[in-house]
Amino acid sequence: MTSPPPDETLTRRIPTDWKGQAMQRRIAARYRAERRFRLIGLASILLSAGFLAFLLVSMLGNGLSGFTRTEIAVKFDFPRAPMVVDPAMLEGGNADQVLAGANLPVVTAQAANAALGEGGDALISSNAWLTVRDAIRDDPSILQREAVLSLPASADIDLAAKSQGTAQAEAAYARLKQGGHVSRAINMPFLTASDATDPTQVGIWGAFKGSLLTMLVTLLLSFPVGVLAALYLEEYAPRNRWTDMIEVSINNLAAVPSIIFGLLGLAVFLNMMHLPRSAPLVGGLTMALMTMPVIVIAGRNAIKAVPPSIRDAALGIGASPVQVVFHHVLPLALPGIMTGTIIGMARALGETAPLLMIGMRAFIASPPGGVTDPATVLPVQIFLWSDEISKGFVEKTSAAIIVLLLFLLGMNSIAIYLRNKFEKRW
Amino acid sequence: MTEQTTSSAPPKMAARHVNVFYGDKQAIRDVSIEIDNDHVIAFIGPSGCGKSTFLRTLNRMNDTVAGARVEGDITLDGENIYDPSMDVVQLRARVGMVFQKPNPFPKSIYDNIAYGPRIHGLANSKADLDVIVESALRRAGLWDEVKDRLKDSGTALSGGQQQRLCIGRAIAVEPEVILMDEPCSALDPIATAKIEELIHELRGRYAIAIVTHNMQQAARVSQRTAFFHLGTLVEYGVTSEIFTNPREDRTKDYITGRYG
Amino acid sequence: MSGTAITILIIGLGLIAWLSARARALRLAHAGRASPPSAPSPAPEARPRGPLLHSLPSYHGWYAAIWVAVPALLFLTVWTSLMPGLVTDRVLQDPAAATLPQDAFSRGAILSEGRAIAQGKAAAAFDPRSNAFVEPYREAQRFYSIGGGVIALLLAFAGGAYAFTRIRPDFRARTRVERLVMLGLLIASLIAIITTVGIVASLLWESIRFFSLVNPVDFLFGTKWSPQSAALGYGNENAFGAVPLFWGTIFIGAIIAMAVAIPLGLMSAIYLTQYARPAARKWLKPILEVLAGVPTVVYGYFAALTIAPAMRDFAVSIGISSASSESALAAGLVMGVMIIPFVSSMADDSISSVPQAMRDGSLAMGATTSETIRQVLLPAALPGVVGGVLLAVSRAIGETMIVVMAAGLAANLTLNPFASVTTVTTQIVQLLTGDQEFDSAKTLAAFALGLVLFIVTLLLNIVALQVVKRYREAYE
Repeated sequence: MTSPPPDETLTRRIPTDWKGQAMQRRIAARYRAERRFRLIGLASILLSAGFLAFLLVSMLGNGLSGFTRTEIAVKFDFPRAPMVVDPAMLEGGNADQVLAGANLPVVTAQAANAALGEGGDALISSNAWLTVRDAIRDDPSILQREAVLSLPASADIDLAAKSQGTAQAEAAYARLKQGGHVSRAINMPFLTASDATDPTQVGIWGAFKGSLLTMLVTLLLSFPVGVLAALYLEEYAPRNRWTDMIEVSINNLAAVPSIIFGLLGLAVFLNMMHLPRSAPLVGGLTMALMTMPVIVIAGRNAIKAVPPSIRDAALGIGASPVQVVFHHVLPLALPGIMTGTIIGMARALGETAPLLMIGMRAFIASPPGGVTDPATVLPVQIFLWSDEISKGFVEKTSAAIIVLLLFLLGMNSIAIYLRNKFEKRW
Repeated sequence: MTEQTTSSAPPKMAARHVNVFYGDKQAIRDVSIEIDNDHVIAFIGPSGCGKSTFLRTLNRMNDTVAGARVEGDITLDGENIYDPSMDVVQLRARVGMVFQKPNPFPKSIYDNIAYGPRIHGLANSKADLDVIVESALRRAGLWDEVKDRLKDSGTALSGGQQQRLCIGRAIAVEPEVILMDEPCSALDPIATAKIEELIHELRGRYAIAIVTHNMQQAARVSQRTAFFHLGTLVEYGVTSEIFTNPREDRTKDYITGRYG
Repeated sequence: MSGTAITILIIGLGLIAWLSARARALRLAHAGRASPPSAPSPAPEARPRGPLLHSLPSYHGWYAAIWVAVPALLFLTVWTSLMPGLVTDRVLQDPAAATLPQDAFSRGAILSEGRAIAQGKAAAAFDPRSNAFVEPYREAQRFYSIGGGVIALLLAFAGGAYAFTRIRPDFRARTRVERLVMLGLLIASLIAIITTVGIVASLLWESIRFFSLVNPVDFLFGTKWSPQSAALGYGNENAFGAVPLFWGTIFIGAIIAMAVAIPLGLMSAIYLTQYARPAARKWLKPILEVLAGVPTVVYGYFAALTIAPAMRDFAVSIGISSASSESALAAGLVMGVMIIPFVSSMADDSISSVPQAMRDGSLAMGATTSETIRQVLLPAALPGVVGGVLLAVSRAIGETMIVVMAAGLAANLTLNPFASVTTVTTQIVQLLTGDQEFDSAKTLAAFALGLVLFIVTLLLNIVALQVVKRYREAYE
């Protein structure tokens, strides 16, 4: 190391005038820049959170009204109605069948016309007779007297009640309101019915059940395969080219766009194996292929977190490698694996594109009976309804979105709860 | 060589009754000390006794730690550095710091040195900046080794060279005080020797405070020594006296290797 | 006998095998130790030491159960996929097959109708000729299901017999079972490779068929996309030029979406790592993650319902009259918001992993936090941030629902963000929904598009991971 040369120009340097005008201005400018930068950062986060809030509030605003419906009170004079029903026959289990032949639609239309004036039958829903049927079935004694039943209103009137109807409908609604006939009620059929053409009659149960069945198939297929593959890769796999290839495959699969899985499902499950189109079985198979890499990756992380000392202790008392893993490591890694699985399933629940590919875009008017019946899932149902022109579907679509988001929120909360409760810090 | 025990000039930095808290825990208890222009002062003591914490109060680096609180009076040239009107940015340019593990930026050697002058606007032209960089590298004793490769990355140097680069980086903004936090503990003996030689040369221009847990190093490079123990200043005085004839028992025990 | 019934039967047999094998193992073990009745019982110290059996009885049980159930179930799976083909072959041997028309389409229709009636899925036939095939189908179905069931049961019993003869006290049942378990684990891992191979194979297969109908160069570089006209036979020029689709995908996903996601994501990550208090960071970070968890169909609906009309009104108000209600801008904006967490999460990780010493070194020289971030931290974290951006782009171009619902179907090559453009993913959905013959160029084009999409996203992911990996090595 050399000593610095006695060079005058280098050793003589004007000492920095920290108090001078120029320096003070410069420092002030730097602090201003600092404040601006920090504000931009804060604004970015608030803007992002604001988008989310905007979306949620918008969905809530549009969708809450989908959970209610307008009902019109109509007086029924059953003894004088043109229907023939023997109350005794209603005792058995097939009351619905008996009532189906009892001319109820005509009775309902007549009562509506009588109560609401000419054209009154257009003001109530075409399915209103089902409400009458249910009322008779629940209490056959009303057949002997007059009764006032609350019937669901037609789609136009319902829209008008929510201030979105045509001028004509609004006028009709105003008249009804003045006469004191209308009321608001919770739209229970929304949660129990399936798809329909009339927006006041649609329900999400059909799609929801399809989602549940699809998720079941996905879970049954992807969970064992994913966990076993994770165990193999972490505990037993030797370090060679084959295992590297498996690892690379899994990491790549986790990032492949979901629509490609749909193409795979179409080509293999539908065209090659001729499985039933649009069935939860096929949907579940496709989703399982998509969810398995997620479970493998989450599983590997959970297994990696188990300290080696546990394995050493088990081996030390003579457990075989398989016993070490299945009796000791797996139980400890299970909470982490479950959390990853729930998050993977939540992602699969919200997927739409691959299921469109395997045919789940048809109009399914009744819930699927089993995994091989044609079905649809909730996100696809939302997609189909979003295409509908009639305005009543806007609120129903948003209401279905609310249900979907609530369900996802529930699943993610369970995952977070599991993670917080069982995560051991080694 | 006899040393004067007191300087006639006022101290460059003076700390009076300083207490430092991390949350509820008190790390520094009632420390008063002076740092003079012509002396190198060494802070010694066992691990965890607060030497580094105290050093970091001198350039307000504790501000970056959440929950840290400093009480007491610390002045630079008579001005309280914790006064709200004191500009932290300026303070840190006037009181430079070198860290335990060399931390060059992932930039070229030239840009590492030029970083400070650039942000503080100390150079009016590229030529000025070149002069500043060369001067700093010369003073850090690194110029001959890197003058042909100023564009190379700072992280490509050896450990000792990186530490000298960091010292050069601190020098480039012409500080008045240089704080060194165990600058040689990550280096091999040869690099350590070079750094100690460098400290010796820098002594006249800057007030230097060095934290070290190598007592021999403290004896070699410093003129004043302060012995810290469990957050308190146990003894402070001329280096030669501390090491040959300490007043306090605790100091004596530490120096003879009874603990620490 | 239905497949489900046989499966349950085989599982039941497996259970029986488990119980009886276990019992047998126990019995054999104790029999080996029985002393002659005349001799007095030996004292406890004199009793023979050592394990009675090599493995726990339950392992013997599992050994037998596996040999009973697994070969039979495997056979059943294979048989179920082969059966439709076998049944159809047998039906075609029936004399009625001679009356079938020549062209494949009607043949297929008549045969499937016959099959549907035989299986009870249809009540009556549209085409009276189908009725002739109902009985042959029923007969063939019966023949093959019973045949398959019988073979499966035989396999189960054979497996059980084999396993039973092996049960002895010194039989290493646990080792055998564990070896089979390991085999199972290996097979599970191979499923990942099989899936990847399956994806590539199916995409390639169909794409090759497509490229035999349409020139690949025309496909990749042509600028006219109108598959409808190709199907209807209008004109001879190339109607499968995919360039407008590639452009639409890049315009929405890589340009507009990134213009939203990169600044917001990066600045959010910077604020969270450098400025936010730990308490605030704890619940601000999850809020950003929620953006990634919202299903894309919700984003799409929101874009179509609220954002797109707003965009159109805005465009009209500033004088652009050609704005449509399905615009690239609406889709791109919403997609950008969805992608923010991908960018911010990677940026957060990268900036946090820059050593604290570097930040301290810069601050100790009198730099402000923003100067430290801009001149020291970001350059140091840049590879990680770039990797995150590449992954985000890959995610954006593979996204389907937002563009399907908000961006439209018009294959436009335009720079106008208020116009309607279409993307690769939209067209894949469009081409494959609805009734088409599976062999037409239209449906095969979807697979070719899928192949391009797969290759591009794969390349992006590989490059991104390489960039991040090299960066991690630099800091460890």
